[in-house]
Amino acid sequence: MLPPLTSAGTRLSRRTFLAAAGSSLAAAGLAACSPAEARPTINFHQSKPEAVPYFRDLAAKFTGSQDRFRVLHDMATNLSASFVRSSPPDLGCLNYNLEMARFMERGALSDLADLPEAASIRDDVLDLTNWYPTYAGRTSVIPYSVMAASVIYNRRIFADNGLEVPTTWDQFVDVCERLKSAGITPIYGTFRDPWTIAQGLFDYTVGGMVDVRAFYKSMHDVGEKVGPDSEVSFQETLLEPVRRMVQLTGYVNPDASSRGYGDGNTAMAQGQAAMYFQGPWAFGEIEKAGTDLDLGTFPLPMTGDPADLKVRVNIDLSLWVPEASNGQEGARAFLHYLLKPDIQNPYNAKFLGFGTVKDAPAVTDPRIADMQEYYDDGRFYMGASQFIPNTIPAANYLQSIVAGADAKSTLARMDADWARLAFRA
Amino acid sequence: MSSAPSTIPAVPAAKPRRIRSGQERTNWPTTAILLVCTLGVLVPLFVTVSMAFKTTGQAVDGNAFSLPSPLTFDSFAQAWTLTNFPRGFAISVFVSVIAVTGEIVVSALAAYAILRNWDRRIFRWSFFYLLAAMFIPFPVVALPQIQLTGMVGLDNPLGVAVLHIVFALAFNTMLFTAFLRSIPLELEESMRMDGAGTWQVFWKLIFPLLGPMSATVGIFAFIASWNDFMMPSLIISDPEMQTIPVLQKIFQTQFSNSYNVAFASYLMAMAPAIVVYLFTQRWVMAGLTQGAVK
Repeated sequence: MLPPLTSAGTRLSRRTFLAAAGSSLAAAGLAACSPAEARPTINFHQSKPEAVPYFRDLAAKFTGSQDRFRVLHDMATNLSASFVRSSPPDLGCLNYNLEMARFMERGALSDLADLPEAASIRDDVLDLTNWYPTYAGRTSVIPYSVMAASVIYNRRIFADNGLEVPTTWDQFVDVCERLKSAGITPIYGTFRDPWTIAQGLFDYTVGGMVDVRAFYKSMHDVGEKVGPDSEVSFQETLLEPVRRMVQLTGYVNPDASSRGYGDGNTAMAQGQAAMYFQGPWAFGEIEKAGTDLDLGTFPLPMTGDPADLKVRVNIDLSLWVPEASNGQEGARAFLHYLLKPDIQNPYNAKFLGFGTVKDAPAVTDPRIADMQEYYDDGRFYMGASQFIPNTIPAANYLQSIVAGADAKSTLARMDADWARLAFRA
Repeated sequence: MSSAPSTIPAVPAAKPRRIRSGQERTNWPTTAILLVCTLGVLVPLFVTVSMAFKTTGQAVDGNAFSLPSPLTFDSFAQAWTLTNFPRGFAISVFVSVIAVTGEIVVSALAAYAILRNWDRRIFRWSFFYLLAAMFIPFPVVALPQIQLTGMVGLDNPLGVAVLHIVFALAFNTMLFTAFLRSIPLELEESMRMDGAGTWQVFWKLIFPLLGPMSATVGIFAFIASWNDFMMPSLIISDPEMQTIPVLQKIFQTQFSNSYNVAFASYLMAMAPAIVVYLFTQRWVMAGLTQGAVK
């Protein structure tokens, strides 16, 4: 007779007790962290590790430059959890990808179209966000930094062997052949890390031959009917690029399957190979070894026409303000500060990004300067691997293709996964 | 009072151990195997220590086993500022201390109450109810937990500590119950004859007797809460209140590795666990077999 009454009673009182204890602790903690500060705290989420000290410094400078808001640099909060809890960061500065687009698609990010800065962004760069699912009628995301990726090559090795930067597929294969016969590893493969295959070999070969945006638009339209006979499919549309990808694996280091991303950076730093299919983020890692190198970049030619050359881009950092944020005003103020030319341009120069505003200065770093013309002309694509939901282990499928699995049947499996996912949605 | 005797029989007499002749002689094959096994611990530890003292350039030269030259403490300084080490450390200690004491006290109380009322259905069932919780790992209920802690204002280190206590309750109660069964009821009865109440019996008699099991539970609770990544990363909403393991994640991402800074930081975070282990290792050894035999 006792249990129901007492258990309900204790549960209630326990909950209130815990709530009281928890909130008092939180209050005590906050009070301890910001003594005598009345101004609201703006939670600024940014977690690109190499840029953490840089942005932390900016946050401190901004906090010092005015007396309305305090900007708190946050690199530790779990983003999904914070949205679930309805306490998302006030301003996000993150890589924009399919995962992030989920928040946008569901309207969790506020409209920034009324900001004057939104109009200063290059149209084709702003349009990159529309490659992903969008929320109609809103400019929810402001691209802050774009990274362009293409084949990294060692200029000295090319010069020593009298090689020119190839502009057609046949020239590229020829370059590989000549390097190989000279006893030099043409391409350094790091196939132990599946993502390196997806973002390098796969994205470059597909992006150079296929219109990525149109392909995925059709893939979404066809949806659950994707298969061997559909208008587009992985197994038909992407078969040729993937075959060429397999062909290129004939030019990688023999131990590629047991080498990871870190090993690749070390090997490139030591000049062990002529080319490396990585983005500019690898430069920072290669640089750590402190060796004397002369590296450059060129887009992977996939056709016989030099006019078809394109580079792979991604929105490395984008700014957004969640709807649920209760510090939107302060978030916008800091956003405005970050987008000032004398703040944004030095960032991009330092971290090898391309500017996103219409009058952004050209990049000067010799390692990425060769990609400027492609970026200026809008001759770029976003990586094909970036549009496959994580539910489909695409990178692992590609890894098995590289390791010798049949390309056609593995791509057919990706089609089946895609169709299944579309059916479930 | 109504504290009926436990229905479980006392511990059976230990089997006479078979004594092998020549036991004093060193068993070389086993020693050799164990030596090889120790390498599994020592080699990574060596790499951790030597990496922590390397310069960035040397850390990425592909020779993990080389000795640091020049020796540098920069990585420690960098790790210290990047993670705001003192604050993160204090929060981690706070979570661990509450989790350890809470797990020991709450589970011991629960085990005592359940076992001494074993003949009552409600207590028996509540034991099975608790045991059922062992089959629910945190990741499964992570989302509702995040929402719930957010609603009641527990999205902070205290909430993490409370969740640790609750999630470990099932296993700890089972350990304590198994151990309690070996404590003869007569001890308790004699104390009650002298006029002690239930509360006194528990604190003055039972709890001290539970010592070895408390040490076991405490050690597991410390290791679990000190090293936990997932729960604090999901539950704690204020980035300034985050624990050390979560703050350390910035050192290794898909695109970048800072081995030297990361290892310096790991070394600093590992230190308390190693110190605790050094001081408590005889209980750890005892703890491993504690409750293994009912």
